[in-house]
Amino acid sequence: MSEMKILDKTKLVEFLEKLMPDFEVTVPSYNNGNLSFSSMAHARPEIDFAGRPLVPPKEYFFPQQEEMFTFATKEGKATIKAHINKDKRVIWGIRPCDLYGIKTLDSVFLSRYVDSYYHARRENTILMGLNCNEPCEAGFCSSMGTGPFATNSNAFDLLFTNLGNQFLVEIGSKAGEELIERRANLFATASDEEKNKSNEIEKQCKQAFLYSVDQDRVKAALTKAWDDPLWAEESKNCILCGGCNFICPTCYCFNIEDIADEHEQNSTRVRYWDSCQLGGYTQMAAENTRKTQAERLRQRIYDKFSYVPARHNGAIGCTGCGRCTEVCPSEINITHILGILGRQK
Amino acid sequence: MTENIYAPHLVTIEKIRNEAEGVKTFTLTFKDPVERESFNYRPGQFGEVTVFGAGEAPISITSSPVNKGYFELSVAGVGKVTQALHLKREGDIIGFRGPYGNGFPFDEVKSNDILFVAGGIGLAPLRSLINQMFSERNKFGKISILYGARYPALLCFRDDISRWAELKNSEVLLTVDTAPDNGWQNNIGVVGSLLPKINMNIENTTAFVCGPPIMIHFIILDLLKLGFKKDRIITTMERRMECGLGKCGHCNIGEKYVCLDGPVFSYQQLEELGENI
Repeated sequence: MSEMKILDKTKLVEFLEKLMPDFEVTVPSYNNGNLSFSSMAHARPEIDFAGRPLVPPKEYFFPQQEEMFTFATKEGKATIKAHINKDKRVIWGIRPCDLYGIKTLDSVFLSRYVDSYYHARRENTILMGLNCNEPCEAGFCSSMGTGPFATNSNAFDLLFTNLGNQFLVEIGSKAGEELIERRANLFATASDEEKNKSNEIEKQCKQAFLYSVDQDRVKAALTKAWDDPLWAEESKNCILCGGCNFICPTCYCFNIEDIADEHEQNSTRVRYWDSCQLGGYTQMAAENTRKTQAERLRQRIYDKFSYVPARHNGAIGCTGCGRCTEVCPSEINITHILGILGRQK
Repeated sequence: MTENIYAPHLVTIEKIRNEAEGVKTFTLTFKDPVERESFNYRPGQFGEVTVFGAGEAPISITSSPVNKGYFELSVAGVGKVTQALHLKREGDIIGFRGPYGNGFPFDEVKSNDILFVAGGIGLAPLRSLINQMFSERNKFGKISILYGARYPALLCFRDDISRWAELKNSEVLLTVDTAPDNGWQNNIGVVGSLLPKINMNIENTTAFVCGPPIMIHFIILDLLKLGFKKDRIITTMERRMECGLGKCGHCNIGEKYVCLDGPVFSYQQLEELGENI
């Protein structure tokens, strides 16, 4: 663990290409001007990007929509077939915030009752992280302890740091180590000078953040903020698009629904992302238990900063990636909300 | 390979009984004999019922765990899945996974007097507990059952009610909000109006309350006024659920999930969780 390697930047694509026969290799790439994760089979990897893809890589473990079962019923007999995806995948270029998001998803899906769908995808995916040389515009990962550089608390098999002409590569797991060993000719051993350069980049990046959040003050404020007018005030422009949840690297809520063919003999059970900001999220046959947008915004903030840590042994509900602020069409700003809470006495 | 926690087991609908207006009781057996023998549950627990082609819905178990080899669900046909279930016939196959949730306290309330207050189909999960308590009758004190519905045709479990009323050291009082037919001999009014009609040793009584949210709200106020301690008022909560296993996120009350930590909570626990009841 923690052994450092050096990979010449010109050799990264070669390294990833060598993995393609065994893995679906997924990389950040520009599509119509937007950075997103794509298969390297039909996308050019973006090596020198700033920021992070707008959609986090959680969809590779917990897809937006996923088939769980197909059911067939005929002449009093029923058969059930489960669909577990075991495709081998490598994802390169995952930012530390998103590595942390995966760790939080692990604590939801792999604790107590193990979710076979998530488990199979997670087991078969190699995570290659990429530290950040500069902060995102709306990001505050540094104050959440999730970035801009990953630590051993983030989940990764290999971790890359962009030193300019080379990548410093940290090994985080046995699986990551084996991938390097089998292509050892591409890698050199890192010198102290290169490690120092990485430390200097981390230091400079941390100093460049525009936003920070005082987690302890937010947590303390939440013990008294249940009836605060801020929830109504900050949610009043919400248009219920759910975007803040859908691009969140830690959001895990889903619906389960059956889609039947016209004779209702065959049906497919799918699960798909849901959002606690949508009115139907708590709708039952006779009642809706969260009727106002103020209650729904309050739920989102309490879940991220209070409930998720309480339920999952201190897991982080918000990675500080800033995406929810970035995508909100109504300019609902999480750092602004957390700032109000942090200033409360 | 780990077990797929979302996979339903196949169950056969052995019997369908019209329980009340809009409510049917389904007697179910697992197709797999191993599952049929090993299936065990506590009153107050629930399961996810699959009607193939329609979807899944969480339903509490209404039979008592004393009855082996089969279990019963009483279902009001009010949503997509429950309406599809109402169209099923005896012999049809549906899916079931569970039991989920914590269930009612049982050993903890032995030697107590027990008060049940139920509204409408809210008697379904309590029926499981009542029948289990009557199977160990001498372990409990006086058992009082107050049951109400909007009108007489909505009262469920009439066979059980007649049986319970005849058992020693127990009483059953019925009420309806309105009684259009002249045959109604019992009380008229909300279920809380029955509380002054029974003698209770409140110090030694644990109350179990289940029904629509508005009924639970007012009964809890009544019981507090009578001097019940907050941890001696037990209720069972309904929230939207998809998975039943603490993954899908929907059913939280504060940091607790109704599916994992509930659905049974004491009033004291609910007050600490901060959600309005």
